[in-house]
Amino acid sequence: MYFLGIDIGSSSSKCVIIDENKNIVGRAVKNIGTGTNGPSVVIGEALAKAGITEEQIDFTVATGYGRANHTQADKQITEISCHGKGVAHLVPGARTIIDIGGQDAKVIKLSETGNVDNFVMNEKCAAGTGRFLEVMARILNCELSELSELAKKSTEEVEISNTCTVFAESEVISQLAQGTKREDVAMGANHSITSRVAGLARRIGITPIVVMTGGVAINDSVVHSMEEQIGYDITVAPDPQACGALGAALFALESFNKKNN
Amino acid sequence: MADIKSMIAEFEEIALNPAKSAAKLKKESGKKLIGMFPYHLPEEIVYAAGMLPVGMWGGQTDFKLSNKYLQSFCCSLIKANVEFGMNGAYKGILDGVIMAAYCDTLKCICEDWKVAVVEPTGMPLIAMYYPQNRKIAAAVPYMQAEFEKAQAQLEAISGKKVTEADLEAAWTVYEAYRAECRKFVKLVAKMPATLNATKRHLILKAGWFMDKKAYTEKLAALNAAIEAAPAEAFKGKKVLVEGIIVEPIALLDAFVENDVCIVADDVAQQSRMFRIEGRKAGTVYEKMAYRIVDAYADPLLLDEKKEHGEELIKMAKEAGADGVVVCAMKFCDPEEYDYPIFKKQLEAAGIPVLYMEIEQQMASVEQYKTRIQAFAETLA
Repeated sequence: MYFLGIDIGSSSSKCVIIDENKNIVGRAVKNIGTGTNGPSVVIGEALAKAGITEEQIDFTVATGYGRANHTQADKQITEISCHGKGVAHLVPGARTIIDIGGQDAKVIKLSETGNVDNFVMNEKCAAGTGRFLEVMARILNCELSELSELAKKSTEEVEISNTCTVFAESEVISQLAQGTKREDVAMGANHSITSRVAGLARRIGITPIVVMTGGVAINDSVVHSMEEQIGYDITVAPDPQACGALGAALFALESFNKKNN
Repeated sequence: MADIKSMIAEFEEIALNPAKSAAKLKKESGKKLIGMFPYHLPEEIVYAAGMLPVGMWGGQTDFKLSNKYLQSFCCSLIKANVEFGMNGAYKGILDGVIMAAYCDTLKCICEDWKVAVVEPTGMPLIAMYYPQNRKIAAAVPYMQAEFEKAQAQLEAISGKKVTEADLEAAWTVYEAYRAECRKFVKLVAKMPATLNATKRHLILKAGWFMDKKAYTEKLAALNAAIEAAPAEAFKGKKVLVEGIIVEPIALLDAFVENDVCIVADDVAQQSRMFRIEGRKAGTVYEKMAYRIVDAYADPLLLDEKKEHGEELIKMAKEAGADGVVVCAMKFCDPEEYDYPIFKKQLEAAGIPVLYMEIEQQMASVEQYKTRIQAFAETLA
């Protein structure tokens, strides 16, 4: 039996297929999100990796920003619950999840039993989200994936506003015009995003074990900066981008069992 | 059931089209209409003067003209009223406006409105000032004097002299209206699907654009029909909402989509306006003043003991709510001051809280849908 979780985000689509023993048999991530062919592409790739067809899927749960548009799903559950489920499965004992995605940032508090106790989300603003890093990468003329390595070469601290991405963009352009090094600006961008999200985390309260999920968790210099900001070690969830999709697949398995027992 | 649905449809039609409903009310009643800014204002005097009060609860608009007086960090509800005042939306409908300086934004607008709206249109403004120290002995005679001042200005608009008998009759109409509203909000839990979050809101909102006597009769008929109907089975979640207003409608629809029923409210546009039963003794102005003195858990009225949280806990428990959803109007200082205090109290009482900062003119509510759905999932 197979269970599919699809996480349709604002800037990426993620799919995870598990079997009845919760083993991951297929997984795919594509950096195009809701409103694109991203969801069908990742489902196709994950099915191919699992070596199965769509008809063999017993239950599908959709999550993420575009969850309501995925009409093929048997159920839709929020990414907050799905990240909670995925992390509780991957990192037993986790109590705080920091999830920074393309368009929003969330901090989720888990109970001792791994259920979602509380959560906070950013307001409608790109500051403190993956979009902020995309803007910074463009100004620094590098790929998003290169930003982490660039920041590691920083030698001097540069402060960049965490209030507004548009203001920060002008601020960075003026920093570069004054001769500030790209490496220092890259590190400043990391600090900007982490100080914003750390504020969100403090609002809800931070309890270790702290786990980071979402695409931004791949950037290890952001993770280190976040550790400095919150004063706790951070465990990056294995395959952090697909954590919500894994949670959705686990919910699909649970829902199927509930329905048939 | 068909009766209940058609009764609800009538309220919905009125509440979804405030401008059209107010124009129709004016035409059919032949009476002058007085716009009532948020919040507690002496509607009884307007009614006693032979005019009809109508609510001014913002609306959907782009802010163009109002930016002249209100910066982007001002509450969107009051800003919308100023926009409508300046762009002529109230012209031909309202014959006057009453407002009181309950918050910093309103304090400024009492003055700005004179230049922005009164001067170009000639539409009279009655500005009122309520006491901060509403519990001290001097508060009641002070409020009586304010009511007398407002009465004189309203008499000038209507051309009718207000008698004590007129005031008594108006007070009776309003006490009956408030009692029927209190009954309605308690009955919602009996039919959570039919009286879903959106419909509950529109039924209550319709009262702001109708003659209160006619509204009370219609609401009493609806209440009687609900009482006679069988209770509905409901598997969703029940919440209490807190805030100034809970709009836009798409936000309320998000509650409905996720099977979340609003079984109680602590909302300025709703229960805060009618949950206090008037005292029986004294003149009408004394009884009106005591409604302000006796008000509780209202961020717009000074609460020295900070009892908002305790009252919320009591209200949530009485209504059987699974949690509290705070719809904090962005840039509303009075609400923001109360929130950290009552959040702690609610959490200590084991009541889950969802905090959402809202604006009345939100173009997209997608993120709010996620929050409401996630909150419902955590309550499961």
